[in-house]
Amino acid sequence: MKQKIGVYICQCGSNISDYVNVEEVAAQAEKIEGVALAKTTMFACADSTQKEIEEDIKSRQLDAIVVASCSPKLHLFTFRNVAIRAGLNPFNYVQVNVREQCSWAHSNNPKQATEKAIHLVIAGIERVKHSKALPAIKISADNAVLVVGAGVSGMRAAIELAKMGTEVVLIEKNHFVGGRVSQWNKLFITDETGQEVVARLYQEVKNHNKIKLFTGTELISKSGGVGNFDIQIQFTPRYVLTTCKPDWEKIQKAISLCPIEVDDDFNFGLTKRKAIYKNFPSELPHIPAIDIVNCNKCGECVKVCEEVDLEQQVEKLNFRVGAILLTTGADSYEPKKGEFAYQEIDNVITLQQFKRLIEISGKELLYHGKKIRNIAFIYCVGSRQQDGENKYCSRYCCTSVIHSAILVKEKYEGIFNFHFTRGVRTYGKQEILYNKAAKQGDIFLQSFEDSPTEVTSENGKTIVKINDILTANMEIEVEADLVVLVTGMVPRENTAISSLLKIPIGRDKFYNEVHPKLRPVETVIDGILIAGTCQSPKTIMESVNSALSAAAKANSLLRTGEIELEPTLAVIDKETCDWCDACAAVCPYDAIEKSEVNGKFVAQIAKANCKGCGMCLPVCPVNAIQLDGYTDVEMEGMISALVS
Amino acid sequence: MTEKKEYDVLVLGGGISGSESALNLAKQGFKVILVEKDLSLGGKMIHLSKVFPTLDCSACITTPKVSETARHPNIDIYTFSEVRDIEKLNSGDFQVTLVQKPRYVTEDCTGCQLCEDKCPVVVNDQYQWDLVGRKAIYVPFSIANPRIAAIDIENCSLCGACEKVCPANSIDFSQVEMQTPIVVKTVIIAIGFNLFDPTLIPRYGFGKYKNVVTSMQMERQLVPTRPFNNVLRPKDGKMPDNIAYVLCAGSRDETVGNPICSQVCCMYSTKQAQLLMGALPMADVTVYYLHIRAFGKGFCEFYQQAKGMGVEFIKGKIGLITEKENGNLLLRYEDIESGNIKEAEHDLVVL
Repeated sequence: MKQKIGVYICQCGSNISDYVNVEEVAAQAEKIEGVALAKTTMFACADSTQKEIEEDIKSRQLDAIVVASCSPKLHLFTFRNVAIRAGLNPFNYVQVNVREQCSWAHSNNPKQATEKAIHLVIAGIERVKHSKALPAIKISADNAVLVVGAGVSGMRAAIELAKMGTEVVLIEKNHFVGGRVSQWNKLFITDETGQEVVARLYQEVKNHNKIKLFTGTELISKSGGVGNFDIQIQFTPRYVLTTCKPDWEKIQKAISLCPIEVDDDFNFGLTKRKAIYKNFPSELPHIPAIDIVNCNKCGECVKVCEEVDLEQQVEKLNFRVGAILLTTGADSYEPKKGEFAYQEIDNVITLQQFKRLIEISGKELLYHGKKIRNIAFIYCVGSRQQDGENKYCSRYCCTSVIHSAILVKEKYEGIFNFHFTRGVRTYGKQEILYNKAAKQGDIFLQSFEDSPTEVTSENGKTIVKINDILTANMEIEVEADLVVLVTGMVPRENTAISSLLKIPIGRDKFYNEVHPKLRPVETVIDGILIAGTCQSPKTIMESVNSALSAAAKANSLLRTGEIELEPTLAVIDKETCDWCDACAAVCPYDAIEKSEVNGKFVAQIAKANCKGCGMCLPVCPVNAIQLDGYTDVEMEGMISALVS
Repeated sequence: MTEKKEYDVLVLGGGISGSESALNLAKQGFKVILVEKDLSLGGKMIHLSKVFPTLDCSACITTPKVSETARHPNIDIYTFSEVRDIEKLNSGDFQVTLVQKPRYVTEDCTGCQLCEDKCPVVVNDQYQWDLVGRKAIYVPFSIANPRIAAIDIENCSLCGACEKVCPANSIDFSQVEMQTPIVVKTVIIAIGFNLFDPTLIPRYGFGKYKNVVTSMQMERQLVPTRPFNNVLRPKDGKMPDNIAYVLCAGSRDETVGNPICSQVCCMYSTKQAQLLMGALPMADVTVYYLHIRAFGKGFCEFYQQAKGMGVEFIKGKIGLITEKENGNLLLRYEDIESGNIKEAEHDLVVL
């Protein structure tokens, strides 16, 4: 039992001390048996206080410390490191949360907040009294990363990882790389096309011997944890041999012979494609794929092109990687039927369709054979919904639509753009684009939050009507040849992968990071990182930023080849245990195995797998399992203090 | 001449960006030199109150990062230092001259602040954005890193009072600027930003009307280490009860040479408005805006939350601010929703 405990009560500037009488808490703590000193401090986490605690541990020979401050989520490791530097085992330290759980929660009642803080602190002291010094556990880690999704984010991260010496397995569900960006033509600010950007990244990926790229591939199973994930990936056949360089003339012929025509997803249904296809001529890899769901196996293509192999089978491969980076992207919002007359009036399309339309149209901008002059853009469709599910702003759409409006005017004469906005959000340098659109004569209008823009059909004409804020509530009508719904990003349906990896989902249904400011690319699951638009709507630049950041994080995690694990693991008392299988049955990490000791079967913990979750403890009928750092005697000490 | 110091990376700026990049590189095994012009690490972020949209206490999340940076064995830190003459060598490395300015206080300083008590000179405290004073010898701020005093030699009267009282004998008036050549393989520039100088928009009266303050001055009034322990208006120390925010002061404005949107102001104003609702429960807060740019993760929800708390958002650009005799301010603006020119009275204006 610890006899010389140091207790530190943090004021957190005034975050705690405004509501909790910290001096009183320290005075009460000092009375507890075993407490050698109890102090208050302005910021326990400040460097000067950390040094003071270190000094105290050394000069007063403290054998345990308690810091009462904020959530351990913030500072557990800060003070563990203080202990380590002062020569104390980090598990002889307990953090008590008197901010989130006390001062902030009870700011309306300082007296009782103080009372609660005293109880929490004494409970912490009782716990630390019985704490054991735990040894560090280190495991070896593979300096290899699985990157899921070969869009711009995934490819950029893979290249950066490879350059830093990390092995990369890059998988892409589709048969072609590039994700969303390959669907866009000219991009803001550089006016490069999306296809050019993708082609450049693809070349770099192919040229790097540390990157293994697999298209048409999905992650199907995962076991193990950070440092040592065992993964299995599965290939859907392309039905065209990838080994030889295809003769493009023959392939063109094969495509033209294919009798099947289906809606082309790549062009958002604006056009049709064949069952053997490439979405655009320069698409990569430079080999067509067969859409087997729609293929009728007529064999016409095989006759002219021997590279087609309709007998290809599904294949699987296993890898071991140290970390997994998800760059699985987002989808565009699909408006409901009737939302701004979508699918009711023929000339209402989405922004994404409009972008493809500009690219695939020739000399004239036609939609269903009709020449386009007046274009009405309706903003925030599927974003910032007051009643719908998507409360968030999709952030890229204002810039994207304004950029498209500029491009369409550059490409075609006689275009008039009308922007039906809800407040333009061209933040940062994107503001320049907004100015440019205004200067080229685009009309910007803004609807009131309680009266949205309306789209109606009158005598075959499509009318867009708004009560405009900018002209002080004037009712304005525009006869539009084309209505473009500025649809934002929505989280992609990835239920298979999210449940496989148990990824935390945020309230907006995108993958969630640990902290939006300080740990923006990590998830709460060690070794699983996120980047790009699977986390939230982002521009390409922001996606790449996050991809580079995730690459650096993964590399710094794995590059030493060793990872330190939390030693708060389950421990089996081999005397008491009579193998009954109850613990192994509930363990979510496959960390409990049956083993034989002195002729008796007992449970054994696989340290690398155990996460210290504690699921096995309550199911043991003979109470043979303890959790280091949370032993019964520590918990009972805490409970007694809390109820006293 | 001592041996030339060599590093893998030179990081310029010890704010949140500089610290984060230095730390990541150090963890990857690179040798890093971090050079900070100011007396302390932490940049702007360490001085903020809470950050949007999570309302985390900014000091609480910055200080551990700063102390981790300061303590990492792969990072050498030079505060109150600058670099001169960055020159690319044939080898591809950079030859840099590191300039350490004199603090006139040695590293023996314990940060006890006895000297501050004795120092007879009072000047504006730049770390409180001139809201209050500091002495000519001073520890920059309570959570500074390193927590060592410095003498502001331009304002020092050389009376020697600090020297007499210092228990650590750390005052050293003989210090001079030191120049050291270093060689680095890469340079990361993370020098941060300056706040727009609002005197460039004379019609807003900043500098002339005391109750027109900058957002950083308001921010400092809302932090745990706030100078007045309350929000007060500078002219007469009264608690304001009708506060106005003037957005896009110096942004999206070609007349002051800055056509772009600063992309954080909408959100920090929304955040300050929420914090003011807590600090001054009876006060009205009005935000005059052009467009609310609540674009990030959780931002739009945060903006809706502010509206729900009773913050008033008015679409309109402020044309002119004039002062009344009682220190209140008249704001002339176009109320875009009604199309009329209006005038509103507020007792504190934040640009």
